[in-house]
Order: sequence, then C-alpha cells, then structure tokens
Amino acid sequence: MSRLSRHLLRRLLPWLLVAATVHLLAVWALPRVIMWRLSAMATPQERASVFLPPMTDHTQRRVVMPSPDLLYATCALDLAERPMRIRVDLRTPGYSSVALYAANSDNYFVLNDRQAGDAPVDLVLIGPKAYAQAPAIPPGARTVTAPSNKGLLLMRVLVADYGAQKDVVEAARRTLRCEPL
Amino acid sequence: MGRLLWWLAAVALGLGSAWAVLRSVSHYGAAAGPWRASTLAGSPDADLYTRARVALGGLLALHREETMYFVATTDTAGRPLRARCSYHVTGVPPKARWWSVTAYADDLFLFPNEQRRYSVNGKTAALDAQGRFAFVSGPVAPAAPAALPWIPTPGEGGLYFTLRVYNPEAALSAAPGTLTAPVIELLGGCP
Repeated sequence: MSRLSRHLLRRLLPWLLVAATVHLLAVWALPRVIMWRLSAMATPQERASVFLPPMTDHTQRRVVMPSPDLLYATCALDLAERPMRIRVDLRTPGYSSVALYAANSDNYFVLNDRQAGDAPVDLVLIGPKAYAQAPAIPPGARTVTAPSNKGLLLMRVLVADYGAQKDVVEAARRTLRCEPL
Repeated sequence: MGRLLWWLAAVALGLGSAWAVLRSVSHYGAAAGPWRASTLAGSPDADLYTRARVALGGLLALHREETMYFVATTDTAGRPLRARCSYHVTGVPPKARWWSVTAYADDLFLFPNEQRRYSVNGKTAALDAQGRFAFVSGPVAPAAPAALPWIPTPGEGGLYFTLRVYNPEAALSAAPGTLTAPVIELLGGCP
C-alpha cells in the first residue's frame, strides 16, 4: 500500500465511522423522538386522563395516516413509579380494540372486541423494572409487562356512520379508564 | 474551520443517508400489484429500519395479525399517483373482518374536503354483481363512471392509497403478497 493510500485510509476511516454512527443513531432515535414529540404535543389535561379526540377528519394533524373510519381514545402511560390499571368495555357493535405502544413505538399488546369476549377488559400494566413494593393485582385483572415505562394506549372503535352511531360509539370509548394502581 | 467542515460533512452524510433509506418505499416489505405491506409494522420484532420507517409513515400501526396496511404510491401501470389526476379503483374485498381504502396527500394526512369523503370501506362500499367494489378519486367529481363513490383529492401534490385490512385471515396475514390487489387505473388524461 502506498503512502498516499495509507494517508487517505487513515483520514477516511474515522470519517466514515462517524457517518455510519450518525446514520445508525438517527434511525434508532427517530421512532423514540416521534413518540416523545407526540407525548409533548398533548396538553397537561390530556396527559392526566383519557384523551377523546373528535371523529377523525382532515383537521387532525397530530398522527400521520389517521383512519377516518375509527373513533380514537388515548392514554399516556407512565409506569416508572407504579403500575397502571386499564379498564374498558369493548362490547361494541363493530370492531374495537385497545393497543399498547412502547416508547420506541412498538405495538407490544393488542386486544380486540372478539378476543375480549363478553366481559369488560381489566388490565394491570407493569413497568420493565421491579417496584419497591410488589403491586396488589385486583382479582380477575390480566397483567401485562411493558417493555418501557413511557408509552401510549390507543383505543380504536370502528364507526360506519358517526351520525347514526354516535351514542353507541361515544359511550363505548368513554368506558376507558387509565389510572395509577 | 476546515476540520470542522470535514466532520460536519460526515454528520450530514449520516443524517442524509438515513433519511434517504427511510424514505425509500422500495424496501417496504411484500408487494401485491402496486400495493406494498410491511410484514413487521408495529411488531416488536421489527428491525431498526422498519421501526423508523413505520414511525415516519404509519405511526401507531398494529401488528399484522391484527391489521395489515397496504400502501400504493403508483397506479397498476406503475405511474406515480398524483392528486390532480383521477383514478378508478376496483377490487374484491380482502378476506378479513373489515377493510378500508383511504386517500392521503403526500404529507400523509387526509385531503381537505367539505364533503368529508376520505375513504371507502367494508361497510360503505357497494359491491357489484361480481362482488367487486369500486370508487373514483380525483380533484373533481367524475362524470363517469356514474354512481361510484368519489374521494376528492384536491391539490397538486402526490397521492397515497392505504388499504387497511382488519383481522385478516391467517393465510393473508402469513403471506401478504397473496392479496388480490385492487386495480388502480388512471381515468382519462392527466395534465
């Protein structure tokens, strides 16, 4: 190898290493930043309770590719200090579900109306690290361990005709409760 | 100064190449006609790139046993979809509990329209005698084919169609490429 080649290699290798590291870091960080931004966009009131956005239309600009056929409800999840209890009634006339998303945007849990069967859903979400005091799981509740403390719950309720179904679908999403245990 | 620029160029290359890879649709999973679906969207098994791509173009997706998302950015002939063009979309309902086709502008949000027509779905689509659904998209209501649902797509930018398939049959979930792909045809000329 000539002296010139060695010199170029010595200069180029660290440069390429920096470019590759930045590339990988950017790809890794992007979903986390987008999820964090989504959470930051919520008002303190939205973060503290269940958020019930209006029926999706073109004025909804918070999350890309919103479905205009679904009515949504969301809860911000924070499991750092203690678990959260999620209760919801998915006995809806059409499709409905609750889905849990980790801080990196992974959908680590979903339960739809058919899977829920003929009973209200009762979940206890536990963070990835053990708590100082073991949580008391309410009888009948299903335990779900989250991969991250922060995250998001998204409830979907299929709406064929909002005008005609408003009472039923609004009542369905208003059954959602997200509370610290 | 020169040294700083040298390292900034490396950072720019890293960021630029990440953006270019993530915006590339060609890596987006299984294909059925002009429709593409990621088999790992929403899944904890998603690789680094899939997760980032989904966060950019379909945040809060469900995993494929629950819902599959097929995205079309071209018509069946391979021409890029344009909001200012009119398209005739026909297909058979996917084998699933429920489905919808929604039109999105190139910012990935719904097209503004007073009629609030954004999608055609398993509840609203009328099927013909062969069991096929059909609709038209475009900037103005079509003169023909008559009586088809119309999704307005005002503007000059790009157009995406997203086919959502809720609770797909196991065979479709296992092999998204087996979808009987809805046909997207350019209707008339397009300036």
